[in-house]
Amino acid sequence: MDIPVEQMDGVAVAEIPVDELDASNSGELKRAMAPILERYSKLIIDVGRLRFVDSSGLGAMLSCLRHLSAKGGDLKLCGMSKPVRAAFELVRMHRIFDILATREDAARSFQTGSSRSTT
Amino acid sequence: MTTPLGTANGSVAPFQESICRHAMYSLGQQWIDLSARDRFNAVALAVRDLMMHRALETEARYRQKDPKRLCYLSIEFLIGQSLGNNLRNLGLHEACRQALGNLGADLSDLEAIEPDPALGNGGLGRLGACLLDSLATLGLPAYGYGINYEYGLFKQEIDDGYQREKPDNWLEHGSPWQIAKPEEACTVPIYGRIEHGVDRAGVYNPMWMDWKLLMGVPHDMLIPGYGGRTVHALRLYSARASRDFDMQIFNDGDYLTAVEQKIASETVSKVLYPSNAVVAGQELRLTQEYFLVACALRDIVRRFERDHSVFGDFSDKVAIQLNDTHPALAVAELMRILVDEKSLSWEEAWKTTESTLAFTNHTLLPEALETWPVPVLERVLPRHLQIIVEINRRFLVEVGARYPGDKARLARMSLVEDSTPRRVRMAHVAIVGSHSVNGVSAIHSGLIKTSLVPDFFGLWPDRFSNKTNGVTQRRWLLGANPRLADLVRATIGDGWITRLEELERLEGHADDAAFQGEIERIKRANKERLARLIRDQSRVITNPASLFDVHVKRIHAYKRQLLNVMHIVHEYLSVIEDGTTPRVPRTYVFSGKASPGYWLAKQLIKLIHNVARIINGDPRAKDWITVAFVRDYRVSLAEQIIPAADLSEQISTAGYEASGTGNMKLALNGAVTLGTLDGSNIEILESVGRDNIFIFGLTAAEVAAMRERRSYRPQDHYDRDARVKRVTDAFSSALFCPREPDLFAWITRSLLDASDEHVHLADFPGYLDAHAQVGDAFADPGRWTRMSILNIARIGKFSSDRTAAEYARDIWHLERVQ
Repeated sequence: MDIPVEQMDGVAVAEIPVDELDASNSGELKRAMAPILERYSKLIIDVGRLRFVDSSGLGAMLSCLRHLSAKGGDLKLCGMSKPVRAAFELVRMHRIFDILATREDAARSFQTGSSRSTT
Repeated sequence: MTTPLGTANGSVAPFQESICRHAMYSLGQQWIDLSARDRFNAVALAVRDLMMHRALETEARYRQKDPKRLCYLSIEFLIGQSLGNNLRNLGLHEACRQALGNLGADLSDLEAIEPDPALGNGGLGRLGACLLDSLATLGLPAYGYGINYEYGLFKQEIDDGYQREKPDNWLEHGSPWQIAKPEEACTVPIYGRIEHGVDRAGVYNPMWMDWKLLMGVPHDMLIPGYGGRTVHALRLYSARASRDFDMQIFNDGDYLTAVEQKIASETVSKVLYPSNAVVAGQELRLTQEYFLVACALRDIVRRFERDHSVFGDFSDKVAIQLNDTHPALAVAELMRILVDEKSLSWEEAWKTTESTLAFTNHTLLPEALETWPVPVLERVLPRHLQIIVEINRRFLVEVGARYPGDKARLARMSLVEDSTPRRVRMAHVAIVGSHSVNGVSAIHSGLIKTSLVPDFFGLWPDRFSNKTNGVTQRRWLLGANPRLADLVRATIGDGWITRLEELERLEGHADDAAFQGEIERIKRANKERLARLIRDQSRVITNPASLFDVHVKRIHAYKRQLLNVMHIVHEYLSVIEDGTTPRVPRTYVFSGKASPGYWLAKQLIKLIHNVARIINGDPRAKDWITVAFVRDYRVSLAEQIIPAADLSEQISTAGYEASGTGNMKLALNGAVTLGTLDGSNIEILESVGRDNIFIFGLTAAEVAAMRERRSYRPQDHYDRDARVKRVTDAFSSALFCPREPDLFAWITRSLLDASDEHVHLADFPGYLDAHAQVGDAFADPGRWTRMSILNIARIGKFSSDRTAAEYARDIWHLERVQ
């Protein structure tokens, strides 16, 4: 899995490049994210393309957050679709992730230190 | 009569056109070439078009007024055949008959083809169906939620007197009534584990991880109210695998495992559990119950959020009725949604949950009160178990504050039973999580308070009430007994179809010889029809002039089919040994299914068949006693048997039958009840008067006292009364089992066992005496017919319209939207 990373206002933005994240590709996502998580401590993941995520996909996202938190970094999510948001709410993961509407909102929240979800 | 779609005559041509259009465009053939089943399908699709139109109008009306709506959750809906019922409620029965006549077909033939959707076991499921009919008729906004079982309750076949169960694949050819809504499918997580952690604010945040997903695909069946103005939906969910295959397994090349997992997911809605077979710990049953609750609540929340944003208003717009404990997980699921997904505080969520949910209890039988082992719940629904434990912790704090130091009370009331393994008591979950708890007859509601959960009644007396069951007269008189319905219409008009209490206007005709003659003629015609059915099914010849003594319901020890057989044996022995001539000739008609795992009930079916074989074949008894068992009892069969009944056997052990509704249907059709003071028999007695019913036996209080004091002495009854002795001994002889002499010896032993909780021998003499009174009354046709008329005239209270209106007024706080 090839994960594109861009810079926005000094923060790295990685984009999940698939529509569905499930048992068939969540391991691959974790492997592809590993070097990105090593390199950056502040990271935005744009999940705008995702339309479906199952529990293994959620597990992969959670391990990304834990990796960054362990080294004192932070992770914010943006662009979340309604069904993916529903999956996060189902497991209460929306309470541990900072979820924002757009990349810009996410980058801004890094700058202001705000951690309020806006979606 | 005018119909909702114009006059009946005016509807014939467009209706006929619609039937032919469906023949051609939905089924791909000319009408003339269609098989009988497809002809039924074409007609059903034409009817469905009309209902769909009305359903959309109903929904538009509701959305405009935004009324509070009822969501009725039931693991069973015993809806019966729909074609005739839908046509009558739409006011199109005659128009359809004419349209089909023009097409060279007969409506009755097509009605008979329709398979019964056997999505229920008995009373509980049939109550759900009757209430849906009444809610639509009354214009009370409501949805039903259930499971679209692929296999309904088994088909009963009889082999050498033994019940054999065959799968009932009622959806084999699809159902024209069902409208699949895959776009409204929902995902249901199940299994997994809790990951303990904290949220961004440092607050404890349990996360439900590693679940599997099921898909719930809704199928709507439209329920038209009488007059056709209001059409509601019964939403039945089918389980599907969340994706076509588990992709990981598929990618690993294990195609067969992937397919197996898909099949396992779809098993959830495969089969309706027969009652009494629900052994605690059956994980599939728990999964079914959760699947129903999860699908229903997702749909309810989705609809609520379409028009509202603040969950504080939820209970102002939604009432959820739990039909027994099977949907009791709704307490935990609604809390989970409100707390986890909608971020309400626990206190806000609890207030909303409690004020939204209401619970109907349907049984006092200890073995039917559901409990689930904690380890099973933890594996299947880890988050829900957490929530139940927290509800229990808070609840026990409340109880402890009210009754300081009363540890025994805490143990009795806890939602979690202190057993090995510990078990969650679903009735307690439902009571604690609901603002209303009701029983289904006056005596049953009283016993809930005094015997079943007295501690809860002590804590919250205002939470408990009674809502006596009812039946819909549209199906059980207008549909099932058209001859009687026509007579009633001709005598007092149509008002009774929506206001059953108007039947009281028949009272003035009780002594009218002409009216009595009409009633007798109708009963005779219905009996002749049943006689043909019995002859065709079992080759038993019955005499329509005899008293049709009818005992139709599930076969169960507490319903005491055995007591009925004991009376038959007594009559038979009186004829062959004493040379006594019975007062009147009788035909004893039994019908009912035994749960496949219930040995005793299945033995009773065998007993009835053996007794029938011996008596029906004995020329000494031929003119006086005939015994028939009509196989495969179901709604459509009940519609044929009930109108033909003279006598309605309602002889359960007092204190065991929650309500019963067969007793109401039979009385509505002019049968006179022979019953114990149990369930709604007591209220029927109050309504029809002591002169028009035969009551015998111990009261519930007497049975309970006997049990408590261990004072039942069957041997005393046996020694004291020669009639009792003779009948009891007959079962240990080879009289009814010449080829297997000990086959029924267990019955003698059981009757003489002091632990017989159904106290057969104590009630038997009173039962014989009551039967003697029945014989005297039936021997006087004028008297009997008068009793029959007064039963019809005074049964108005027992309409499900009254039941629904009481629930709406006292529990749901629903307004009619016309």
